[in-house]
Amino acid sequence: MGIRLYQEPNLGKPILVASWPGIGNIGIIAVNTLREMLEAEEFGEIEPWDFFYPRRVLIKNGILEYLEFPSSKFYFRRAEGKDIIFFIGEEQPTEGSRVYAEGKKAYHMANLVLNVAEKFKCRRIYTSGAAVSLTHHTMKPRVWAVPNSERLIQEIRRYENAVLMSDIEGRGKQGNITGLNGLLLGVAKKRGFEAICLMGEIPVYLQGLPLSYPKASKSVLEVLTRNLKIEVNLDKLDELDQRVQRRIEEFYQQIPLAIRGQLDKLRHVVYDKPASPGPITEEEKKKIMDDVEKFFKKRGEGG
Amino acid sequence: MSQGYPIKIYSEPDFNQSSLVLGWNEDAGNLGRKVTDYLNRKLKGQEFAEIQPEDFFPLGGVAIEGNLAQLPDSKFYACQELELVVFQSDSPRIEWYKFLNLILDVAEHLCQVKELYIIGSMISFGAHTSPRQLFTVVNSAEIKEALNQYDLVRDMNYQTPAGERPTLTSFLLWIAKGRNVPGVSLWVPVPFYLAAMEDPQAQKKVLSFLSERLHLEIDFSDVDEEIREQNKQLARARSLFPEIDDYINRLESNLMLSEKENGELIKKIEEFLRESA
Repeated sequence: MGIRLYQEPNLGKPILVASWPGIGNIGIIAVNTLREMLEAEEFGEIEPWDFFYPRRVLIKNGILEYLEFPSSKFYFRRAEGKDIIFFIGEEQPTEGSRVYAEGKKAYHMANLVLNVAEKFKCRRIYTSGAAVSLTHHTMKPRVWAVPNSERLIQEIRRYENAVLMSDIEGRGKQGNITGLNGLLLGVAKKRGFEAICLMGEIPVYLQGLPLSYPKASKSVLEVLTRNLKIEVNLDKLDELDQRVQRRIEEFYQQIPLAIRGQLDKLRHVVYDKPASPGPITEEEKKKIMDDVEKFFKKRGEGG
Repeated sequence: MSQGYPIKIYSEPDFNQSSLVLGWNEDAGNLGRKVTDYLNRKLKGQEFAEIQPEDFFPLGGVAIEGNLAQLPDSKFYACQELELVVFQSDSPRIEWYKFLNLILDVAEHLCQVKELYIIGSMISFGAHTSPRQLFTVVNSAEIKEALNQYDLVRDMNYQTPAGERPTLTSFLLWIAKGRNVPGVSLWVPVPFYLAAMEDPQAQKKVLSFLSERLHLEIDFSDVDEEIREQNKQLARARSLFPEIDDYINRLESNLMLSEKENGELIKKIEEFLRESA
């Protein structure tokens, strides 16, 4: 169980951008889009078999030809002063039937990714995921940014369209990033890497749907590319978003009118300062959460 | 086998060049368990090792089978004179790669296993009166060639459909291939309404092949008797219950039943066979 590097590119203090699938696939779509736009080259992988159950078998003429595992690959892009290593995991290693990684395997995978970061002397690590939030799918998603060191807080405050946990009402600087997109941040801290997790907002009523949410991936990429001083064309994400938005609208129209009425109020939430969402009240917020929960529970019971 | 291995070895068998037959406990028609039980009973297989469950099963409680509390079992048996190793196991729920490698560690290092046979069953939507076929999937062209002379379907094409995962058997075949152990998985279609019961016809199909291939010289008169008995019971069910007869007639004419009819047939057959037993 280990890392296989097909080549050892000569990189100058690169940054590492890593992601695994999660809610709305926000992080992985963002990181994959950037990797594609920069035409990053594959240079290694984490051997999969001890982490994953295979996902596809190919039997041809009675002979087992091929067993495919979820991949965990490294890519690099060399650019003057802006070298980047990408890590993209197609699945999170789970133990049993859990959805997100936890436990020994997750910790081990995080360390393997950081072994590569250490080998290439990465100066910073970014991960990306989703922030489930009281927002509306017609609104531009913000990006919640979580650093693993105090000294990054001031830097994050300067990011456009990004908020710290302490800036989010009712959070009191607290929260939890589930799975490897979060765990990597903690393990990076232990090993002396500075790291930031960028999480694109997804409306609370969409979190359980089997849909991606590219609008939030775009917000994440905007923050990331501005920070890296890279220019990329995000038209592809806009196109994907338009397709997904149509499906979201179809779903939205199926929500009972009374609940939809509550959710519609989220269209008008304005963040003039990070900590002051308006014009909905605390009471309305609670009602929205309760209604959404009841709606999904009912849908679940109905099969 | 170093210390710290999650394997208990009770005695070291003395093999020169053996074959391993492996059956999982939870497949359709209970085929893996029935065939491996049969081999052990008939050929006087001696338990000599087991894989400890704690690394491979959640163990959040205990299963109850036939009124008895039961931990997951993963046991090796030796039929030494016949150069046959039998492994019967529950399917591991975690750490599959480690578990499957452990099987091959015991097979190769302790038993000099040269060939691997894995028993599997698949659900068939045909009638029990259709003859059973034996499908094989192998992990090398050489072993496929070596099976030329047997009555097998050896040209299966398959790709995992979206939303599904490969079987543990495919995973094991693939690992065996990486370790240069020729492997064969044996698949018998079991009629869907016998899937939760037993299918002695399917058992005989696998056992006959194994007996011929591994020179086990088994007398199958007892299995034949079981087949006759089950066929008799199923014929009785058909004569007593016109709807059962109608459903099976339609299956015999290659017609599909609706989902509801499938469910009814399963329920009625299971009830009838349980009461008759």
